[in-house]
Amino acid sequence: MPTIELKIDQLSELLGKKVKYETLQYDLQWISLDIDDYDPENKTIKVEFNPNRPDFSSPQGIIRPLKGYYGLEKGLIKYHVKKGKEYFKVSAKVKEIRPFVVSGLVRFDFSLSEEQVITLMRMQEILHWAVGRDRKKVAIGIHDYEAVKGPYIYTTVKPDEIKFRPLHLEAYELTPQEILEEHPMGIQYAHLLEGFSEYPMIFDAEGKVVSFPPIINGTYTTVTPNKTKILLLDLTGTDEKAVNVALNILATTFADMGGKLESVKVIYEDEPDKEIWTPNLAPNNWIAHVDYINSYIGLNLTAEEMVDCLHKVRLDANIKDPNTLNIQVPAYRNDIMHEVDLVEEVAMGYGYQNLTPTLNMEGFGRYHPAMKLAQNVREIMIGAGCIEMVNNILISNKDNEKMGLKLKQTEQIILANPVSNEYDSVRRYLRPSLLKNIQFNRSEEKPFRIFEVGDVIIYDKTRETLSRRELHLAVMVHSDSSDFSEIRSIFDYFARTFGIFEELSIKEDEDPTYIPGRMGSIYYKKKKIGSIGEVHPQVILNFGLEYPTATFEINLMPFID
Amino acid sequence: MTPNSQKPTLKMEYLPVLQELQKIKRPIEARELSRKLHLGYEKLMSGAIYSLQEQKLAKFTEREEVLLHLTEEGKEYVKKGLPERQIFALFQEKGYKEIKVSEFAKSVEMELGFNKKLFFIGLSHMKKNKWVVTSKATGEETIFVYNEDAPKSSLEEILQIYGDNQVIPLSSISKPLQEYLPQLLKRKLITREKVTIRMVELTPEGYMIKPNEINLIEEEIQMISSDMIKSGEWKESINKLKKYDVEIEGPKIYAGKYHPMTIIKNQVREVFHSMGFQEIQGPIIELAFYNFDSLYQPQDHPAREMHDTFYLKHPKTGKLPKKSYVETIRSIHENGGDTGSTGWRYKWSSEIAKKLLLRTHTTATTLRYLAKVGLEKPQLPIKVFCIDRVFRNEKVDRTHLAELQQIDGIIIGENVTLSDLIGQITEFYKRMGFKKVITRPGFFPYTEPSMEVSVYSEELGAWLEMGGSGIFRPEVTYAWGIKHPVRVLAWGLGLERLAMLKLKRDDIRDLYQSKISWLREVSY
Repeated sequence: MPTIELKIDQLSELLGKKVKYETLQYDLQWISLDIDDYDPENKTIKVEFNPNRPDFSSPQGIIRPLKGYYGLEKGLIKYHVKKGKEYFKVSAKVKEIRPFVVSGLVRFDFSLSEEQVITLMRMQEILHWAVGRDRKKVAIGIHDYEAVKGPYIYTTVKPDEIKFRPLHLEAYELTPQEILEEHPMGIQYAHLLEGFSEYPMIFDAEGKVVSFPPIINGTYTTVTPNKTKILLLDLTGTDEKAVNVALNILATTFADMGGKLESVKVIYEDEPDKEIWTPNLAPNNWIAHVDYINSYIGLNLTAEEMVDCLHKVRLDANIKDPNTLNIQVPAYRNDIMHEVDLVEEVAMGYGYQNLTPTLNMEGFGRYHPAMKLAQNVREIMIGAGCIEMVNNILISNKDNEKMGLKLKQTEQIILANPVSNEYDSVRRYLRPSLLKNIQFNRSEEKPFRIFEVGDVIIYDKTRETLSRRELHLAVMVHSDSSDFSEIRSIFDYFARTFGIFEELSIKEDEDPTYIPGRMGSIYYKKKKIGSIGEVHPQVILNFGLEYPTATFEINLMPFID
Repeated sequence: MTPNSQKPTLKMEYLPVLQELQKIKRPIEARELSRKLHLGYEKLMSGAIYSLQEQKLAKFTEREEVLLHLTEEGKEYVKKGLPERQIFALFQEKGYKEIKVSEFAKSVEMELGFNKKLFFIGLSHMKKNKWVVTSKATGEETIFVYNEDAPKSSLEEILQIYGDNQVIPLSSISKPLQEYLPQLLKRKLITREKVTIRMVELTPEGYMIKPNEINLIEEEIQMISSDMIKSGEWKESINKLKKYDVEIEGPKIYAGKYHPMTIIKNQVREVFHSMGFQEIQGPIIELAFYNFDSLYQPQDHPAREMHDTFYLKHPKTGKLPKKSYVETIRSIHENGGDTGSTGWRYKWSSEIAKKLLLRTHTTATTLRYLAKVGLEKPQLPIKVFCIDRVFRNEKVDRTHLAELQQIDGIIIGENVTLSDLIGQITEFYKRMGFKKVITRPGFFPYTEPSMEVSVYSEELGAWLEMGGSGIFRPEVTYAWGIKHPVRVLAWGLGLERLAMLKLKRDDIRDLYQSKISWLREVSY
């Protein structure tokens, strides 16, 4: 979750109303913000916001709905964008790599302060992540406008066609290729340009490199605190909607900081008729229905009351007819995709804290048959004096091997990206898990009688997921006197109590997990459903243990109704 | 003299113990006392000594000690000397100066009854003690005397300490000699035992007191036997029955027991059942199609990446449902389909949706249930829940597990509302034991509106984030035929967070390590 640091004094100043930590702690949650941390010494709060609201990436962005919440201001904020003279020429060569660019100018009456530059950089960082998918969809360049000269050209160059001084490594003239290989930003983002024979580049009218998107800016246009007064923005990317939203969030925030916005024209070389002016801060128009919204939230508001709610969350709305609202959504919002998103806006304007919970207790509770059965089996095993284990389904294939369980290659289930080799597969049997439990507890007082009722996963090519889950029971005993007859007694007790004793049979068999001559396969209606026996000393040693061990495991699926 | 009422009380049978201690006049080791009195050690300690101590007539101190016991073989050698001594004595008795090893072995066997193994053990120690040397210079190995005096070896010095005793404490052997103990242990002549040494001593009052100053009581009996009950003897015995200290813990028993996670899961089940919900279950290995795509998660969403989700290497891909469903999901992602949504506006790929993974949330299973409801059109409302395993590609530490359990509840109904959802959630948590619940705006990609749920923990005196909730987006439900005014209310939480709170653990790994000492003691 993205976070942003706010000074409580600054919030009070921006709001024009004194606020305290204690009140913010309660109030912010109703506009979907969460205080993550509070530093009482510096009176700052760290606020977490949801990734669908990148417009919360600056103090100015948070102030908007907060003013609405406190009733200090309402409705859509109007921004004026003056038509500018600068333009970007876009070469057709960028189409395959990063087809879109948008821009804008912001003029301040003052040089930006250190604090403002920090806000700006933090926003850039959050937007890269939340809107730009780590620069893939959107990369942002913010420049000192007075260092370059328009018009600007957005084109591509060959990897070693030019040399320029990149930001952070000002002392070196490097080719784009060298930047990708040697510059920290280049190394971090080189994957975004992988497979392309040319790289995107923005030049000014004199051929100076403004920016090498999505990697790094040139040095000419570095934004400097207490000096820079006019900002030139470039946003390039692969998603036209996303570059515009990111630009709009920046532009409106800068306007809230006191900047005057000026549009920049974008001309596409291969589409001479297309002429785009950005930023375009015209609100997005939506239609929503009063009955629909009421039925969603469980309210009975009139159209007028709904307009009020929408004003509070800084949207505009007017009543088309008693059941229809025309709603204007600010250009810095990109989270409205459906009428249902406006339902949430109304609910937030009304206040979740003001909703009256309603409780309808229809329906009949019922166990899942497998859970019911699992519960019965657990009860029986506890009656037999066994302690229940609950283990992971994730397992290491090595543990199967240590038990002498060899699965056919084609029937193995293997993870593509395990975090560690402690888990690289899912379990096919429960008994390796139980033996690992004993291993983990080997210094505890014996005797051990443990069991697990749980799922194993089986390769099954008839299923859409090529696998199925099977509910198993496994029991394991471990002490200096554990032998076949002990486990057989427990098994018999289980089978009798569970009511399947007469239907089961055990036939002598062989299995590398067990001692030959002390192992049997368990059959139900001529189908093998499990095994029982004394664990082979080699297996006991493989798990670093030294006491006799016996176990049985059966598939419980045949007994589920 | 103390008044009668403050006379110490003692059982008649303990009086001899007191008198013996008065006779000894010094601290004595309890086992030795037990031998002297021909009284069982346990009985002595838990009976007489305990009573004397209680009456402030005696006291005892404890320390750890290692006892060295002679084995049967060891006892024999204490009497007759070690094999090397016996063999050397024979050597001298016969007046040999040198003799072939093989020849001497035979005579040793004849005279002393030592087998070959014992002979060679003896010989090697004679050599070690530098009493003799052997040489092969003459062809066959021959023994020569090296030191006629054959001074006492360290092993012999240790055995000498025993005297008539069969057990001596480690502390009675000097430090330098202790170095030789491993040899005796290896030769199985002694064994070690760790014991607690209890030294018993009378207090000044204990030394002074006379029998007539003690309130002596009759003998106690341990239990009323079946015979006593049958014969009527109990009527008399019941007054002599030993009083138990009922405040003392009994011996531990290791019984069968549920795992605490099962208990908590069953509590959650109980709450759902009591609120009219039925449990459902679904695949653990899941198609990306159900885990992500059907939940309107765009295919470039960060949660879908390898570092968050476990994908399978084998089998790698599964089978998608029938084409009409796949095409519906495609159009919903690309342009919103018939849902009224704008969609995500990108090119959707069925190849990505085919990938198999370990499901990252049980919502994949509730989603499958929506498909079933859409197809079978049962009577609404429908209320189901799921408690099951989910997986996250995370490094395991105090606060993270790669395998977790999730709780999910959904209600499918006509015109069900956000206020209904708040009502259900509040009731659910109330039945889980949380009286105060807050639902506030939140965000999840597949619900709108969405809410975060926090509960107030009385134990911690703090609000805790406990889960998420919301109404499934039309982009999620429409594909399965669940359309306005039918909606799906949903909420979910992690089982572990709840468990850590209820079981008072602060390391999440504790929950599944199945530490037997914890399981044997844990209360739930």
